[in-house]
Amino acid sequence: MSTLDLIVLFGTIFFIVGYGVYKTRGNKDIESYLKGGNSMKWWTVGLSVMATQASAITFLSTPGQAFEDGMRFVQFYFGLPIAMVILSITFIPIYYRLKVYTAYEFLENRFDLKTRTLAAMLFLVQRGMGAGITIYAPSIILSTILDWNLTLTNIVIGVLVIIYTVSGGTRAVSQTQKQQMAIMMGGMVIAAFVIIDLLPETITLGNAIDVAGNMGRLNVVNFEFDLSDRYNFWSGITGGLFLALSYFGTDQSQVQRYLSGKSVAQSRLGLLMNGLLKVPMQFLILFVGVLVFVFFQFYEPPVFFNEAVTKQVSQTEYQDEWEALSQQHQATFEAKREGLHAMIEAEENNDQARLEAKKAEVNQLQKEQLEIRNEVKQLVTQAVPIAETKDTDYVFITFVIKYFPQGLIGLLLAVIFSAAMSSTASELNALGSTSTVDLYKRSIKKQGSDQHYLLASRLLTLLWGIIAIIFATFASLADNLIEFVNIIGSIFYGTILGIFLLAFYIRYVQSNAAFIAAVIGQSTVIYLFFTTDIGFLWFNFIGCGLVVGIALILQTIMGKHSPSKDQK
Amino acid sequence: MSTDQESGNELEKPPFFKSWAGMYWLVIGNLLVLIFLFYLLTSSYT
Repeated sequence: MSTLDLIVLFGTIFFIVGYGVYKTRGNKDIESYLKGGNSMKWWTVGLSVMATQASAITFLSTPGQAFEDGMRFVQFYFGLPIAMVILSITFIPIYYRLKVYTAYEFLENRFDLKTRTLAAMLFLVQRGMGAGITIYAPSIILSTILDWNLTLTNIVIGVLVIIYTVSGGTRAVSQTQKQQMAIMMGGMVIAAFVIIDLLPETITLGNAIDVAGNMGRLNVVNFEFDLSDRYNFWSGITGGLFLALSYFGTDQSQVQRYLSGKSVAQSRLGLLMNGLLKVPMQFLILFVGVLVFVFFQFYEPPVFFNEAVTKQVSQTEYQDEWEALSQQHQATFEAKREGLHAMIEAEENNDQARLEAKKAEVNQLQKEQLEIRNEVKQLVTQAVPIAETKDTDYVFITFVIKYFPQGLIGLLLAVIFSAAMSSTASELNALGSTSTVDLYKRSIKKQGSDQHYLLASRLLTLLWGIIAIIFATFASLADNLIEFVNIIGSIFYGTILGIFLLAFYIRYVQSNAAFIAAVIGQSTVIYLFFTTDIGFLWFNFIGCGLVVGIALILQTIMGKHSPSKDQK
Repeated sequence: MSTDQESGNELEKPPFFKSWAGMYWLVIGNLLVLIFLFYLLTSSYT
């Protein structure tokens, strides 16, 4: 990396951290620390909500996904705008009326203390692990590509976030997220223009879009109902809605963002801004990936994008096989490039017959190239059994490092760091708040002063930050840890959502039925996890369904319900 | 539970619209327009 890139990268990061600390110095009470003094305007709330969801992996993985599979992933977000409307109508007014600091406080008002504590603890377990992975996931990729020390990268990201999150609390998180979102989106727009500029002189943007379209990379929407197809209109509009409702409605790292709004209206507008912009934002990130795909149709891509693994394989007995596959890959690439030029020429001459023939030829060569890449991945498994064969996360960062001009490499790395920091900051902020408000203040020390709780909140945020760094540092010791954390999340998320659905929409169910149902539901999910081979994503649905179903049955057995607390 | 009208804080009107329903329809309408544009883009290469 050049000196200019380092200046841009660290200049951007240190400016954001310094700005966050300076602008939010002097928090005097717990309310301003945990809720930002309820002073945020809608655009700050909206940007903060978007920045929290956009982790570094969003910017590393999503373009790679478009490179490999086209743009259909955008359908995953179709349910999100509908969820934003539902949350604006139902959740926000209730949270504001009860003046809660955390989502789980509402559960005590609606049910009782034990249900609140159970939900808060389930959140702390899953999000505590998640914060470590939010740091670890980009660190492992950046340290591999840039040959940085992994532990040091983890510590740098973690400490920078701890500095302003512990110092300025919610307001610092929201204020810095404005700058971070500007860097992220500005960086991706600049990246799109740079890629277009890097294409061969004879290839216009129109040609690039045609190439992407003819090679199946503009498959944005698919209305065919197919349960085995992960991303289509129906899975996006139903599964995406379900997931967005649980994430934005019950996860404190998001709830805390919109509870910092100046009023119900400002919070609503912030969420609706997310509803308006999220789908176009994901489209932009995926489109950048499609442009990288087009670029690599005219400039030879590596046969495998993780260079560190490539080097490891080259030091094994499989080197000759690797070399042979690389040569096949190169020959296929060159034949395909010729075919693409002929295809573009046919399109410009409006020669339909030749266009169709060249399109078929190019797509056949693309298939062959994919088969070679699959063989390469099998070779990786044989040569380096512990290596990750999925290299799509490395596509975009490899492209940036190899082809971007000096200065812009630093800017794109700042995008990735900003994304890692923004989502980690929200997580630490939420973990600190939930530990303080739902456990320490409510059940351990009930009669402390405002200053005492402010200090406790800072110390608990610091503690979670240290835990996150430790978790990130030792993450590499476990096999496939990212999937492990996703599994843990899926095991607990369904139960939490089930409790909240009962609380918001099923007034018939009272506290004891809800609590017992949550315990039975959670235990059943854990039992099923250890005794069956059900795909882990299904546990979200199973957990939620069990809690709601068992609670309804129990309430019926227990007899007629008394008015709930908020109805009194 | 009470409705929006019970709290003065919740009576604040949204910008550009007379009621919140207008804002909500804007978000849903924007989604529908995007899906339609995506459909046109997809079908032009299918």
